[in-house]
Amino acid sequence: MTTAVPASSAGASSAASPDRAARTQSPFWRNMRKFADNRLALASGVVVLLFVVMAVAAPLIAPHDPNATDLFRRLQPPAWMAGGEWAYPLGCDALGRDILSRIIYGARISIFIGTAVILVATTIGILAGLAAGYLRGWVDTAISRLVDILLAFPYLIFAIGLMAMMGPGLSNIVIALAYKEWVIPCRVVRGETLAAREMEYVEAARALGAGRARIMWREILPNILSPVVVVSTIRMANVIILEASLSFLGLGVQPPTASWGSMVADGRAFMLEAWWVSTFPGLAILLLVLSLNVASQGLRDAFDPKFHD
Amino acid sequence: MRLRTTLLAAAVAATAGVTLGAPAPAGAQELRVGFSADALTLDPANHRNRETETIIRNMYDGVLTRTPDMQLAPQLAEGWSQTSPTTYEFTIRDGVTFHDGSALTAQDIKYTFDRLIQDGAMNGQTSPRKSLLGPLDRVEVKGDRTVVFTLSEPWPIFPAMLPFQEVVPDGFTGAGAEGGANVTSNGTGPFKLVEWRKGDAVIMERFEDYYGGSPDNPPVGKACVERAIFQIIPESASRVAALLAGDVQIINELPAHAMGQVENNPDTEVLTVNGTRTFFVALNNAQPPFDDPRVRKAANYALDKQLIIDRILNGTATPLNGVLSPDAFGHNPDLKEYGHDLEKAKALLAEAGHEDGLDVTMDVEGPFKDTAEAIASLLSKAGIRAKVQVAESAILKDKWRSDEAPEDGQMWLTSWGNGSLDPVGIFNPTLTTGGRGNSAHYSNPEVDALLEQAATEMDQEKRAALYRQAQEIVNEDAPWIFLWLPQDIYGVSKRLTNWQPSADSRINLHDACLK
Amino acid sequence: MTLGKFIERLAQLVPVLLGVSLIVFLMMSLTPGDPVEIMLGDQHVTPEQEQALRHDLGLDRPPHERFLVFIGNALQGDFGTSFYHRRPVGEVIAERLPATIELTLVAMILALVTAIPLGVLAAVKKSTIFDKASTVGSLLGVSMPHFWFGILLLMLFAVHLHWLPVAGRIDYEYQVEPITHLLLVDSLLRGNIAAFGNALSHIILPALTLGLAMGAILMRVTRTSMLEVMRADYVRFAEAKGLARHRILFRHALKNALIPTVTVAALETGTLLGGNMIVETIFGWPGLGRLVVESIFQRNYPLVQAAVLFYAVTYVMLNFLADILYTILNPRVKL
Repeated sequence: MTTAVPASSAGASSAASPDRAARTQSPFWRNMRKFADNRLALASGVVVLLFVVMAVAAPLIAPHDPNATDLFRRLQPPAWMAGGEWAYPLGCDALGRDILSRIIYGARISIFIGTAVILVATTIGILAGLAAGYLRGWVDTAISRLVDILLAFPYLIFAIGLMAMMGPGLSNIVIALAYKEWVIPCRVVRGETLAAREMEYVEAARALGAGRARIMWREILPNILSPVVVVSTIRMANVIILEASLSFLGLGVQPPTASWGSMVADGRAFMLEAWWVSTFPGLAILLLVLSLNVASQGLRDAFDPKFHD
Repeated sequence: MRLRTTLLAAAVAATAGVTLGAPAPAGAQELRVGFSADALTLDPANHRNRETETIIRNMYDGVLTRTPDMQLAPQLAEGWSQTSPTTYEFTIRDGVTFHDGSALTAQDIKYTFDRLIQDGAMNGQTSPRKSLLGPLDRVEVKGDRTVVFTLSEPWPIFPAMLPFQEVVPDGFTGAGAEGGANVTSNGTGPFKLVEWRKGDAVIMERFEDYYGGSPDNPPVGKACVERAIFQIIPESASRVAALLAGDVQIINELPAHAMGQVENNPDTEVLTVNGTRTFFVALNNAQPPFDDPRVRKAANYALDKQLIIDRILNGTATPLNGVLSPDAFGHNPDLKEYGHDLEKAKALLAEAGHEDGLDVTMDVEGPFKDTAEAIASLLSKAGIRAKVQVAESAILKDKWRSDEAPEDGQMWLTSWGNGSLDPVGIFNPTLTTGGRGNSAHYSNPEVDALLEQAATEMDQEKRAALYRQAQEIVNEDAPWIFLWLPQDIYGVSKRLTNWQPSADSRINLHDACLK
Repeated sequence: MTLGKFIERLAQLVPVLLGVSLIVFLMMSLTPGDPVEIMLGDQHVTPEQEQALRHDLGLDRPPHERFLVFIGNALQGDFGTSFYHRRPVGEVIAERLPATIELTLVAMILALVTAIPLGVLAAVKKSTIFDKASTVGSLLGVSMPHFWFGILLLMLFAVHLHWLPVAGRIDYEYQVEPITHLLLVDSLLRGNIAAFGNALSHIILPALTLGLAMGAILMRVTRTSMLEVMRADYVRFAEAKGLARHRILFRHALKNALIPTVTVAALETGTLLGGNMIVETIFGWPGLGRLVVESIFQRNYPLVQAAVLFYAVTYVMLNFLADILYTILNPRVKL
């Protein structure tokens, strides 16, 4: 730990982790502790966890069947407004379905789409990017051409085209988005690897006779992970929002399944007279994505190898 | 933080924009229509698109037009007569000029229709509107003011199809202008083109030498407003917002749920008109379970369509028990009503061997998802558990409007428009064996025979009777879940006077004034 | 950069464009839906009439033949005729393009002018309340479905406050003789301040909506790279030498820190360009994005193919530009 650290983790964190304690713990726990000391990040992590719990336990928590329609409750306002009732705290949508229950169930879909797409994409992207950036030669040429071709497609147009081809549905959304998403981490990793290749520590490792795989995996990857994490968390937000965009264009999940994106998109038509239909799921997206980002920012600050000289 | 800064920036810029971009000087009467789609072309002969026609019909007049109550009326023609089952004679009005100042002659009419019906008449291509003129075979000029239309076989709806065709001057190809006839305009209508800002607006100004329009359609004279603009706003919430903000004075396709908003605004109101589009759920008559008429009838009894009309369509639709609009020629008002009757539905299902109900899927296009979900949930109360499946209209048309019945298709919430309000425009395509729009794959030789007979029957009374009989059979066979005929809903500014929406979805701005 | 490198880059365009064309073509061919069916709508049509239309559109040829014809014609600058507009596709796209480019540029400029100062400040004042607030603010920016944000803006500024128009690009009263076809630029060049103001009032809301997420991303990128640069040895070395802090920041750190920002901005301009269909729909903006989406849904193959090719060329060019900028700013990397 050096003087550079206080700048990194929030507030009193470094003071709270005395050197003695740090020495007796494994690095992982030391980092987790640093993360825990960042109260904002911790709180966000807790919020993310709560969302996950909510998604898993949806049948236990949701006050109503999310798909039960009742046309007599069409566009019923939230409980605190005139015409609302506490049995339907956030009001009802255009078919009289309970918005709160749909948000609770919708967490499953939105979290699934975000996680699945980013996991698949980042894994592929890191592998391809490392290979291209470090090995160069024909590997780089092949991967870069493929990346160029895919990147040259506007994202939404590509996704719309794929969705039109495959038809709507949850798994098709994941495929349509992951098809192009991986090139983004790939591009970042390749660029960083290209730069890292010229760095002293890599040259040193090479001079010491380390193999290519080892250099890529042990030397370069840890040092370029931080931009990948930053990009991936932002992309996760983006993926959840892209799902909403696909819904906007009528290519979202199949009814009656609720996803936050489709709720926001379908509800936008009622914005003038029933703002709650699209506002609450919109806020749910905001809160989840915001928490995810703040939490991962905290993790990054805690785990980034550059903070531990 | 950033958000607030940018909003602030917007506010500053906005104030600048407002003060710098002062509106038109008071007195210049400018009527703006917030419209859902841009014209695809300005050439009246080169499209098959309703929105395009709505826009260009303000710059072009037709041989015939329709009055607000949908009666046929002569427009560029002074009058017409049917001289034989296959020939019609039109006398052309005197004193009509095109926007470029040339006078309208019978030759212009001939050119217009030759261009529409002759193969390869449009730079080697055939007009996509050719099929709208059915068996029209040739057009001949007889003297200065008379044109004779000859059909290859009798086609009673020929006059009813004429309001859809706009008259262009002889030799009209728009040569010289970039894009040719597709981007230029030279009609006889009340407005002439000023500028087409593609994707943004079609700007027109009053044609000062307008002959006045059809005397059957008073007031006669030049248009009231000096300038008319179709401003393209595809998103419905934005269109409503533009109306509420006073940016536009008419909007089309006002969503039923936004009616309250427009009515509650002191400056705006809602206008409705019976549409011409029949909604129905096509049941796949060629495959189980809907090959059994009892199941189809059960579905009709199971659906409480009035509930959907009241709650989702805000009361703006007429329930139907058949295919035809109540305004259509030959409509049968005495059809058996499939009232909401859950017990009867369940009994019919049980009789057909579905005591435990049945699981089916219903296809629907995105814009009607809500309605489909509501229908599905109401049907499930009788044991018809329908799963709604959304797909693009292109895919569904491919799947359902094919010669073969779709094997995996069971129900399709769809509609068929019939601007001519004649049964030929909807009955024949949707319910004859092998018809282009016969998604239900309904086939009843008796109906086929009646429709064939009616199509060429020249005695209007007999013809209507044939259609009434066919409707009865279809009603009994129940190839569809009969739904409703929605009204077209418009939002308008209260400054607007003298404008009524029209059932054929035209937006005729000739009479409209602003106060 | 040598001429040889430049030509090499141009040569790389060829496989990309071929690959893109092939993918679009395959995608459109494998997608169910029939343009003739869509075009004819609800009308009684005889099979012969349908077949005639199919022939006119060139759809009676087998797919591989259509692809070869498309490539052959495209090489000669002919992208075919739009099924629905009945005019050359190139012409239809060219009409819509300036609006999209203008919107994209304004959105990107808005994003950059807010993101860079805020990102740098957040890095310099790391861990202060300002840093956290701007981080959370930028995260709010990316966390918002932009059509939702757009509708909110529209409700506030157009409906409630009446400050800004809901839709369109410029009001009819303002005629600007085109030079670049970008209204803001042309009105300034022509000295028509009123038209400039009016165009500005139209573009503000869509550009804000479009640029919001981009600004947030760029801010985060700037902040992150600024932090990394500030930790770099040469900055620490300079610090140790006792150079003034602001001088270190602006002479050494900023230039290097902006490399990723500028690169990302250049790359993402392509993303913005191809991603504004929703904003264009909401604000009735007469751009290309809306047209392309409509065309996909209508199976207007020639237009979709040509538009995607256009996006691809633009993307490759921007990519090239980003590389050049990267080299200029960071001489250690050779192209």
